[in-house]
Amino acid sequence: MATKNAEAYAAVSKKYEWGFATDIEQDFAPKGLSEDTVRYISAKKNEPEWMLDWRLKAFRLWLTMEAPDWSKLNIPPIDYQDAYYYAEPKAKATIASLDELDPEIRRTYEKLGIPIEEQKLLANVEGAEPPRRVAVDAVFDSVSVATTFRAELERAGVIFRSISEAIREYPDLVRKWLGKVVPQRDNYFATLNSAVFSDGTFVYIPEGVRCPMELSTYFRINAENTGQFERTLIVADKGSYVSYLEGCTAPMRDENQLHAAVVELVALDDAEIKYSTVQNWYPGDENGVGGIYNFVTKRALCQGRNSKVSWTQVETGSAITWKYPSCVLAGDNSVGEFYSVAVTNNRQQADTGTKMIHLGKNTKSTIVSKGISAGRSDNTYRGLVRVAPTAEGVRNFTQCDSLLLGDQCGAHTVPYIEVRNPSAQIEHEATTSKISEDQLFYAMSRGLDQEAAVALIVNGFAREVLQQLPMEFAVEAQKLLGISLEGSVG
Amino acid sequence: MPLIDLPSTRAEAWRWADLGALSAAAALAPIARAGHEPHFLDLPGARLLFVNGVLDEAHSVLDQVSLGHLRGGEHALGGRATGIGWSLRLDADAAADPVQVVHIATGGENHLPAEIVLADNAVAQVVETFVGAGWSNRVTRIELGSAARLGRAVRLIQEGGFTSLRDEAQLGTGASLVSTFLGAGTAGTRIDGAVVVGESGYAEVGGALLTAGEQRQECAVRVRHAEPNGQSHQLWRAVAADTSVASLAAAVEVARHAQKTDGEQSLRGLLLQRTATVNLKPELEIFADDVKCAHGATVGELDGRALFYMQSRGIPRPRAQALLTRAFVADALDRIGNEGVRDAFAADADAWLERTL
Amino acid sequence: MLVIENLHAEIDGKPILKGLSLSVNAGEVHAIMGPNGAGKSTLGYVLGGRPGYEVTDGSVTFAGQDLLELAPHERAAAGLFLGFQYPVEIPGVSNVQFLREALNAQRASREEKALSGAEFLKLAREEARKLDMDAEMLKRPVNVGFSGGEKKRNEMVQMGIVNPKFAILDETDSGLDIDALRIVGDGINRIMRAPEKAVLLITHYQRLLDYVQPDFVHVLADGRITRSGGAELAHQLEREGYAEIAA
Repeated sequence: MATKNAEAYAAVSKKYEWGFATDIEQDFAPKGLSEDTVRYISAKKNEPEWMLDWRLKAFRLWLTMEAPDWSKLNIPPIDYQDAYYYAEPKAKATIASLDELDPEIRRTYEKLGIPIEEQKLLANVEGAEPPRRVAVDAVFDSVSVATTFRAELERAGVIFRSISEAIREYPDLVRKWLGKVVPQRDNYFATLNSAVFSDGTFVYIPEGVRCPMELSTYFRINAENTGQFERTLIVADKGSYVSYLEGCTAPMRDENQLHAAVVELVALDDAEIKYSTVQNWYPGDENGVGGIYNFVTKRALCQGRNSKVSWTQVETGSAITWKYPSCVLAGDNSVGEFYSVAVTNNRQQADTGTKMIHLGKNTKSTIVSKGISAGRSDNTYRGLVRVAPTAEGVRNFTQCDSLLLGDQCGAHTVPYIEVRNPSAQIEHEATTSKISEDQLFYAMSRGLDQEAAVALIVNGFAREVLQQLPMEFAVEAQKLLGISLEGSVG
Repeated sequence: MPLIDLPSTRAEAWRWADLGALSAAAALAPIARAGHEPHFLDLPGARLLFVNGVLDEAHSVLDQVSLGHLRGGEHALGGRATGIGWSLRLDADAAADPVQVVHIATGGENHLPAEIVLADNAVAQVVETFVGAGWSNRVTRIELGSAARLGRAVRLIQEGGFTSLRDEAQLGTGASLVSTFLGAGTAGTRIDGAVVVGESGYAEVGGALLTAGEQRQECAVRVRHAEPNGQSHQLWRAVAADTSVASLAAAVEVARHAQKTDGEQSLRGLLLQRTATVNLKPELEIFADDVKCAHGATVGELDGRALFYMQSRGIPRPRAQALLTRAFVADALDRIGNEGVRDAFAADADAWLERTL
Repeated sequence: MLVIENLHAEIDGKPILKGLSLSVNAGEVHAIMGPNGAGKSTLGYVLGGRPGYEVTDGSVTFAGQDLLELAPHERAAAGLFLGFQYPVEIPGVSNVQFLREALNAQRASREEKALSGAEFLKLAREEARKLDMDAEMLKRPVNVGFSGGEKKRNEMVQMGIVNPKFAILDETDSGLDIDALRIVGDGINRIMRAPEKAVLLITHYQRLLDYVQPDFVHVLADGRITRSGGAELAHQLEREGYAEIAA
C-alpha cells in the first residue's frame, strides 16, 4: 500500500505547466549589485531625487546586514553579484490597453490562462461579461506592462498604478506611506528590495469608497538570471474596502532566481483589505534543480479603529519560500486574519506563517494554516502571536494542520505565543495527519481513481482556506492543488 | 564578576532565556545557610545532601548511590558540570527505594553532574529539591534499558539566584520516563531537556512554573521519537504574577521512520496581572507520516464565570482565585506517582499561591 | 425581606432593566415569568452581583441591607442563593471541596464554627440522597461532565447544603424530565418553604409551578413588571401566551 500511496501522491504534483519562457527583447541593467545599479534603476524610472536617496540609504544599510539563518531552511549561498537587478521588455514600458501589448507578452498571458476573462472584456465582447470584473496590473520581470480599467477606477477615485508611475504622479501619498509598515531596515531581503525594487503596484482607496472591482497583479519572472523585486503598497482610507489578488509564475530554468518582494498594507479607520495570493513560481525539478527563491516581506498595519486585513495565500511554487504575511493590529477593535495553504513537493522548502501583533484594545486575529508535504520536501509553519500590555480584550484563535503524503517529507509547526495582558484569550491547536488508507479506500470504492481520491481529500483538508479566496482564484487554486471541481463540492 | 560565555538569545532555544540573571546569580556573595531544615521527605531510601554541589556526608545516606567523576556533555550550561557527581545505577529487574537529593546553595556558582542508569526492567524514583541562593547548575544523564521505569520529580524552590537544569535522557525499548518539575521559588530557572524515546517507549515531561515579582522561569524541552510506536506527553502550566515572565517551550520531534508515534503537548499559561508575561512555544517537527501529533496552547486569565459562580456560593474572590489557580496547576503535578511526593509538591505550590494571591 | 425599587440595569451600555419594582416578604414564593429577552436572567444576575451588569438607578434592599453594596460572596453570606440557568463547569475543583469552602466561608462570615470534613461529608451525602443524586458525583469536579439535568440537581444539592434565606432560581426547570422536575420541586419546597424564607422563581413555563405553588406571579416584559397576580396568572399566561398579557 505504501508504494501505491506514493504513486498516488506523485500524481498530486502536476507537471509545472507555466514553465515556458517568452522570447522577447529585454533591456538589462548591468549585471551585479552596486550603487550604480541602484542609480541606474532609479534613472530608468525617472524617479525624483528623494526616491533615489531613499534607495541609496537602503542599499548602504543592506551592505552592513547579514542574511537571516534562523528559519528551518537550507539556503545555498546566493551570489548577489551574479544576477541582473533590472530587466525591461523593449516594448513600450506603459501602454493603455492589452491590445498595445507586445504580442509575445500577450501570448504569455494567454498561456498563463489567467486573464482570459479580462481580455474578453477588453475586446468588448457582447454578453461575455463574467460574474465579476477584475482590474489587472501585470508586472513582467521588472516593469509593469499593463494596468487595465484605469479610467473606471479613477471615476471611483481609486488609484491603481504601477508603483513607478505612482512615485511620479502621487509622490506625496507614496512618500507618506512607503516604508512605514516595513521599514527599510526591517530585514535583509526587505532592505535589498528597498534599494533595488523595480516595479510593483500602488493602490489607494479613498475615504468611504468600496472598490468597484477586484484588483489584481500578475507577476512573471521571465529573463534569465534576473531577480524580481516588486514593491506593493496599498492604502485603504477610512471606511473603504478593497480586494486585491496576486498571482505569480516563472519559466523553468536550471538556475535559481531570486524574488524578494515587499508588500505594505495600511488600513485606516473602518477600512478593510482582503489580500489574496496564489503563488506558483517555478519550484525546480524533482531533483531540486532550479526554481525560485521566494523571500517576501508582507505586512499590514491596521492603524485605524475597526480596520481589518485578511491575508489568504495558496503557496504551491518556489524552490524556497520564506514568507510571513503579518498584521500589526494597532487600532482598537481591528481584526487580522491569515489563511494559508502551503504545498511542498519534491525538494521544495517552505517556511511560512504569520505574525499577529496585538497593540490595540479588543483586537482579534484568526490564523488557519494548512501545510501539505509530499516527496522529500519540508514544510514549516512559523508564527507569532504577541499581545502587548496595553491590549485589553484580545482574542486569537490559531489552527495549524499538517498533512503528510509519504514518509520522506517533513512537517513542522513552530508557533510562538507571547502574551503580556491577562485579559487575552489565546488558543492554539495543531494536528498532524496523513491520508488514511481507509479514507483513500472509501473514496476509491465510490469510483474515484487514486489521483482523484487524493485530490479530493487534500481539497477537503484545505477547504477552510480555499473558501476565503475570491471565486476566480479559488478555481485556479483548486486546479493547482490537483483537485477536480466536482470533488471540491462533495 | 565572572565572565560567563553564554549562547545568544537570537538562537531559537534561548529566545526567552534570562541569561543576565545567570551571571548575576553566579556573582552572588556567599550567604549564610538558612537553618538546618534539609527538606527531606519521610521516605525510605537514599538521601543525598549537596551543599554548593559538594556532598555533606554527615547528612547523607548513599544507599545504592555512588559518587564518581562524570562528564557534563556538550550542552552550553550542562557542559560546565563536569566533575565529581552522583550516580544511580541499577541492575536488571532491580527496584530501588526513592532517592532523594537536596541541593542547598549559599551564594556563588556550583555545578554538579549526575547519572541515572537503569538496566532492563529496573525501577527507580528520584526526587530532587533545590533551596538556598546562588547559581545551581546541574546536568543529569538518564539511560533507561528495555522496559525500565523512572519517575523523577524536581522542585525548584530556591530563594535567590538561578537554577539551571539540563536533562539528557535516552529511553530503551518500552522504557518509561515520567519527569515532573515544579518551579515555585523566587529564583530564576531554566529547565532544559532532551529526551530520546526508543521503540514503544513512553515519556512524560512536564510541570508547573509559578513566577512572581521580577522572576523569570522557563523550560526548553525537546522530546525526540527516534523509533516507532512511542508515546509522549508534555503537559506544562505557567502562572505569572507581577512583572514576571514564564516561558514554556516544548518540542516534539518524530524521526523519519518513527511511525505510529503518539505525541501530545498541552501548554497553558495564566496571567495574574497585566504586567506579567507568558510565552509559549509548542513545536512539532515531524518526519514520519503515520503519526498522531497534536498540541494545544492557551493563555488567558481565570474564567470570570467560574469566579462569579464560586462567589455567588459565598467564596470570597481571592479564595476563589486561589482554588481555580490551584486546579490549573494541579493538572501538571498529578503526574507525580508517589502520593507523599505529590503532596509535598502541592504544598509548595499552595505556599506560592498563598504568598502571591 | 427583598425590596426592589425602580431598578435600572444595563450590560455594555445597553439598558435591560428599566424601572423594575418588586417586594417579597418572608414566607412567600414569587414567580417571575416573561418572554425571552425580557430581562429575567438579568434580574437574577443583578441580584447576585455578576460583574458586567451595571445598575444605573434604583435600589435593592435585602433584610434591611443595601444589597447592591455587597460583593457576590457577601450576598451569599447574607443568605442569598442564586441558582444558575447554566451552572458553570470548574475543572480540577471537586464538588465536595467547592461546597465545603463555600459553606464554611459563609459560616465564618456569620461567626459560626467551620464544619469538619466528616461533618460536611455527612451533610452533603444526606442532601445528595434527598435529591436522588449519586454520592459519587460529589467527588467529581464541579459540573464537569454533568448532564443538563444533573447540573440542575447539583444546584439544588448546593442550596440544601448552604440552606439560604432567599433563593433566586433561574430557569431551574429547564433540562429536567418529569421525574427530575418533581424531585427538584420537592427539594425547593422542602428547603425553602418556611415562614422565615422566601423564593423568587424565574421561569419561562408554568410547569415547575405545578410543583412549587407560587403566592404571586409577575410578568416581566421589556425590563419592567407589567402585571402581577396570583397563581392563576401563570395558567392564563400558558393558555394565552405572553403577547396578550404582557402588553
